[in-house]
Amino acid sequence: MSHPTTPGATTPDDPHGIRASADNPGVLLVVFACVLGLALANIGISIQIGPTKFTLPLQLAIGSVQAGLVAYYFMHLRQGDKVVILTALSSLFWMGILFVLFMGDYMTRHLVVSS
Amino acid sequence: MSIAVTHRGPAAAPVPPEPAPAPVNYLNVSHTIWSWLFTVDHKRIGLLYLGSISVFFVIGGIFAALVRTNLLMPNGAFLSEDAYNRAFTAHGVMMLFFFLIPAVPGVMGNFFIPLMIGAKDLAFPKLNIASWYVFMIGATFSGWAVLVGGIDTGWTLYPPYSSRASQSNVLPGVMGVFISGFSSIMTGLNIMVTVHKMRAPGMTWGRLPLFVWSLYATSLIQLLATPVVAVTLVLLMVERAAGIGIFDPSIGGDPILFQHLFWFYSHPAVYIMILPGMGVVSEVLTCFSRKNIFGYHAVAWSSMGIAVVGFLLWAHHMFVAGISFYAALLFSLLSMLVAVPSAIKVFNWTATLYRGSITFHAPMLLSLGFLVLFTVGGLTGLFLATLGTDIHLHDTYFVVAHFHFVMVGGMVIAYMAAVHFWWPKMTGRMYSDWWSRVASVIMIVGFFLTFVPQFIMGYHGMPRRYPNYPQEFQILNVMSTAGSSVLGLGYLLPGIYLPLSLFFGKKVGANPWSATGLEWTTPSPPTVHNFEVTPIVVCGPYEYAIGVDQMGRGLPEPPGAQDDPSHRDGSTGPSGPMKKETEVVG
Repeated sequence: MSHPTTPGATTPDDPHGIRASADNPGVLLVVFACVLGLALANIGISIQIGPTKFTLPLQLAIGSVQAGLVAYYFMHLRQGDKVVILTALSSLFWMGILFVLFMGDYMTRHLVVSS
Repeated sequence: MSIAVTHRGPAAAPVPPEPAPAPVNYLNVSHTIWSWLFTVDHKRIGLLYLGSISVFFVIGGIFAALVRTNLLMPNGAFLSEDAYNRAFTAHGVMMLFFFLIPAVPGVMGNFFIPLMIGAKDLAFPKLNIASWYVFMIGATFSGWAVLVGGIDTGWTLYPPYSSRASQSNVLPGVMGVFISGFSSIMTGLNIMVTVHKMRAPGMTWGRLPLFVWSLYATSLIQLLATPVVAVTLVLLMVERAAGIGIFDPSIGGDPILFQHLFWFYSHPAVYIMILPGMGVVSEVLTCFSRKNIFGYHAVAWSSMGIAVVGFLLWAHHMFVAGISFYAALLFSLLSMLVAVPSAIKVFNWTATLYRGSITFHAPMLLSLGFLVLFTVGGLTGLFLATLGTDIHLHDTYFVVAHFHFVMVGGMVIAYMAAVHFWWPKMTGRMYSDWWSRVASVIMIVGFFLTFVPQFIMGYHGMPRRYPNYPQEFQILNVMSTAGSSVLGLGYLLPGIYLPLSLFFGKKVGANPWSATGLEWTTPSPPTVHNFEVTPIVVCGPYEYAIGVDQMGRGLPEPPGAQDDPSHRDGSTGPSGPMKKETEVVG
């Protein structure tokens, strides 16, 4: 999940050396460019392809990749300890509750109960 | 070395000693208006919340009085249909978003969480004052919206009416709720980080007061759920302002999507309202029973259980909105699941009372009222969680009575209990014991008289949000309106004797209730930094049986002990002797 980085000097305020191990600005710029590129791809899909059966899943997948990049690089998940990573996974699980339960409603709404 | 001899004159008159200066506390450390508006002291911010939500409570109460008075007559006493819609919407918006949700977390949470865990302040003091300002900005938007022209959609703001047809102040009203949501998120974040990071030495998770546990669970909900409603309201504003089809079916949207997203926040919001009240009741019942709480861990974890399960049952508000039968079946089952942790709490409170040495001061009377009213509210919730009965009861006055039993009979009564319990600590003054007991009884009686008739008329089919009704419901509506005036009197009395106590109330010591929490080890009112030295916690939070506080020091004589024969031999009744010497409990 998290690949090791070269930790900086640890202090009581920075026990994991996160702040001390400055992120490589080049890497962050590349990631930021990727996020922007994916956003443009999403817009392009809307304009060029339009509403097909695969458009929505594809756009949701792109959005998930964008969110993952932001969390992994900009929100320091790659330098996070186990508790931070567990918290992030918990938030995904919690969001899953929202999506699964109301998609469950949408996907079974056409089913009629036989009397 | 010469010694100078001086001739003394006649003896000077003795100079009367100057009165000792009042000890410095958070109230008298500075007096300027700026010292309040730019404070980062959690106690002062708690009082800022207290003042502001009291104003919103009065505004919401006035709208409630308008609604109830209008329902005296079958065809409406004095409001037009449109004005009636705006009145009940204003009541709902003000009471829910600007009173119930911030009440205990904003006032008592801000004030007492650091005191209870032995911290000097919350983790982010500047974020704390920022959250109050954000709350006030949101309240200004929504307050303006409901007072100048009003909103006619109901507090639930369902589209497509709210996004297309309504000609009322939907946008500013929604904007205000959206903004105040950030205050809720910030407060939740602040409390969570404070509980995690700022506990005193020895204050383990197993020694946290149950009020702190309940607010921790509340903060979890605030942090997770509020962003969802924020996004939902943004989408609603976008649809209304720009005509982009999100919820309106006529332009490609889905109104049930709004209901899903809205209730994904707004049902957990019910637990944002009630969980802090449960925490208050846990503190009060154990203190005035002079007994350790029964099943501490069960009560603590049931708070977390309610917070988690509360996220799984939002669609029980939508059984007749057109959702899938199978989804409704699932949500019905999940809705019944939340009764388990709720019942754990009620049974544990009841077991705490069993053979306790009970004194009926105002906080205790109100907490006992909470116990009954919340139980009735919870049980009637099961009626509504059941698919078959909900089809009959949905959108009737039965629902109105149910959620008022939980929110008003539960949360507001618990909030009043909290105010009465901690008022001496906050102000250093004691209010009138007799008047407070009278007000507590009036509140509970008035509440019953207001809402029990609504169960009956709801079961017989009177729909909610209608200004007109058949003649046969008039007697019940008159009873309900009469009860609401009694309830209003019950709320008015504390508004009189509590402020009066600031000037005429008896000064109290650090621990007027002989309670065990860390907040009672500081002077009343507390000093600016809460504790002269960081407290070392050596005991559990409710060691009433052995009579020591959390620092292991003996408790003072409990109030009313001199009147109670069971206390004269130094015992607290069946709970065992009260030890006055220091005792360390691991």
